[in-house]
Amino acid sequence: MKLPSYAMIDLAARKVSRFEISEALYKSYIGGKTLGARLLYDLTPAGVDPLGKDAIVIINTSPANGTGAPCSSRFNMTFKNVLTGGIASSNCGGQFGVLMKRAGFDGIILKGQSEQPCIITILDGRIEISDAGDLWGKDTEEAQQAFPKQYGKLVIGPAGEHLVRYAAAVSGERVAGRCGAGAVLGAKKIKALVAYGTQRPEIHNRKKFAKYVKKWVSFLRNHPMTGEALPNYGSAGLVSKANASNALPTHNFKYGHFKDAHTVSGETLADQYLVRNSSCISCPIRCERRVLVDGKEVKGPEYETCGFFGPNIDAISMENMLRLNYLCDILGMDTISLASTIAFAMELKENGLADFGISFGNSDNLAEIVEKIARREGIYSDLANGSKWMSEKYGGKEYAMHSKGLEMASYEPRRSVGMGLGYATSNRGGCHLNGGYLALLESVGVLSMDALSTSAKPAFTAFFQNALEAISAGGFCLFSAQSFVPAILFRLGPHHAVTRTIGKVATHLGFGVRALLWMMPILRFNSVYLFPHAEALRLITGLPFYTGSFVKLGERGYNMERLYNYREGLTKADDSLPDRLTKTPQDASNPKTVVRLDKMLPVYYNIRGWDKSGAPKTRTLRRLGVLS
Amino acid sequence: MPYFITEDCIGCAACAKICPVLAIEGSPKERHIVNIRRCVSCGVCGRVCPKNALLDGHGNLCKSVPRTKWKKPVVDTALCSACGICVTWCRAEALRISLPAFHGDIHVFAELFQPKNCVGCSLCEDNCPLGAIHMEEGIL
Repeated sequence: MKLPSYAMIDLAARKVSRFEISEALYKSYIGGKTLGARLLYDLTPAGVDPLGKDAIVIINTSPANGTGAPCSSRFNMTFKNVLTGGIASSNCGGQFGVLMKRAGFDGIILKGQSEQPCIITILDGRIEISDAGDLWGKDTEEAQQAFPKQYGKLVIGPAGEHLVRYAAAVSGERVAGRCGAGAVLGAKKIKALVAYGTQRPEIHNRKKFAKYVKKWVSFLRNHPMTGEALPNYGSAGLVSKANASNALPTHNFKYGHFKDAHTVSGETLADQYLVRNSSCISCPIRCERRVLVDGKEVKGPEYETCGFFGPNIDAISMENMLRLNYLCDILGMDTISLASTIAFAMELKENGLADFGISFGNSDNLAEIVEKIARREGIYSDLANGSKWMSEKYGGKEYAMHSKGLEMASYEPRRSVGMGLGYATSNRGGCHLNGGYLALLESVGVLSMDALSTSAKPAFTAFFQNALEAISAGGFCLFSAQSFVPAILFRLGPHHAVTRTIGKVATHLGFGVRALLWMMPILRFNSVYLFPHAEALRLITGLPFYTGSFVKLGERGYNMERLYNYREGLTKADDSLPDRLTKTPQDASNPKTVVRLDKMLPVYYNIRGWDKSGAPKTRTLRRLGVLS
Repeated sequence: MPYFITEDCIGCAACAKICPVLAIEGSPKERHIVNIRRCVSCGVCGRVCPKNALLDGHGNLCKSVPRTKWKKPVVDTALCSACGICVTWCRAEALRISLPAFHGDIHVFAELFQPKNCVGCSLCEDNCPLGAIHMEEGIL
């Protein structure tokens, strides 16, 4: 068995050394974000400054990266979260990961801080550090053009250089957006990382794997979600679905329905603005939008961007939204955190607490404001610190829409309370993907569980958090899991009696999912309909990955991340949501439209095997093999 | 097994310019070197060398082949999922994902849109996860 090869790059001394990953570590954590979490926990003491010289950044790949499995180009960045102080793992579909692996490295660990802005070049098993020269200060597009087209690149933009707390790292046109991935690279003064090589990744059973990939790709292409809905409308197609179920955050999460949502919906985008669809390398789903901005073909917006630069600031201009999306990419900023912070600033103005010259309903002046935020000019430096920091300075904590410090994604938790629980408990803060993404079952998917009921939600949340964690750890895109809702339900439609019955029954299946979580060790089968990723990983690594052990890998990673957070001082009190979501009903006439965290959290902790303060019990950690 | 440049090399850089993985280095009018860590043994350098100065992985001398006889990729459009791996590896920019036939068309596939640029390295064929590409002679 070939163990992953990691390199430790000391930026202060400009030295590169090999970093050994033991066989036991590889077998239990595989790679990507789970292995990243373990390494971060082991290599850093508690309480380091995420932007200081003691912080480390891990950029690593997973076994599936570059093998040609569908949706497998995603590499991972793990570091201490700039916004929350907990763990952060940011996932990106650019070419950098695949080419870093082909250059002979499964991961790199960056430590120390460079004095001068620098570039890290990873070519054919050699790593060199050189000065960035006049590349520093350039936007992400120009910076990438400075290198040969074939190279995989990971760069930061002006926002990362100015340590905007939610700055992103950009690879090609794909972005490792959340948690401040650009800021941690900026703090280390790394302008760019480039990689190129031609070593082919090792596959344990190449013949069977090639056959399985064919089967999986044809399954994805024939599934109504991954074969039709996503290629046609991208994730932006969720805008109208969320709006219909009152789960589209509007006016800084005050309401859940926007009467002009059709102006920024995925359907309008596809009809009037879409040039074509495109994809990350190796993905047959092809959900990426290509649109024209000022006559230039660029990457189009995702659902979150549509929701946040549209309904959440009461704006109806699609052109402005497309421009802002592009601007965020070239400046290197996370659209979710940025737009949510902007909405918060707008509400501050509405309530007379602060005035940043921006107000609800107008997105015309946002482009110049976004530029100022990226360069931290004047008062806009405050906006660059995120909504948690701003609510501590200006007030308005009850409507600063973040959890632990990371701004929430564009799903209104009061109309999908499971998603609310996910936001509150997610290890990296208010993240929908790390939070279990129950919104898909509650409000934006074809199945509709009772979105207001708290029953079964803790069990489903725990299960999906584990599953999504494992998929990420394998190096796959989470959209490849969207095919797990049976195709027949899409054909019948959301209003068919069968679909509705299944949704209703699922609301009461909490005990079933809990039983499933207990049964993990005996689930020794793989199915392309449930988690095709497990079978792919089994064929690539030769390790015994089955549905059960695969989900358990996710659980191990999730507990590892939780353990890191706990060590950094994030406890039960941080598993919270703003008062707007937990105390004020979305619909004044329906008192059930709040997120009853008080009801769900104890059950969730119990299912997870955590104690009442939210810390993983020793017994749980032993069972998962985190503690020996 | 990587290729090797013999002493017959005159440093014309024809191979360096065409190498699909940028594996050949050297200064003009001097003997060039193959980067053995990167060479993928596609044989393109051997086909273009005017002096027959290349040995393949087994030590056999490569003969130059006229461009018209180079193999070029043919895409099985029914099998292709337009995942873009071949396009990523094509340094010559000979391949692309086809443009939608009409507004909103999602059934696209890889296509050889600039056959003249193709160097016949077959990296696209090697890397295609679905086996949707095979190399054929006599395509213009």
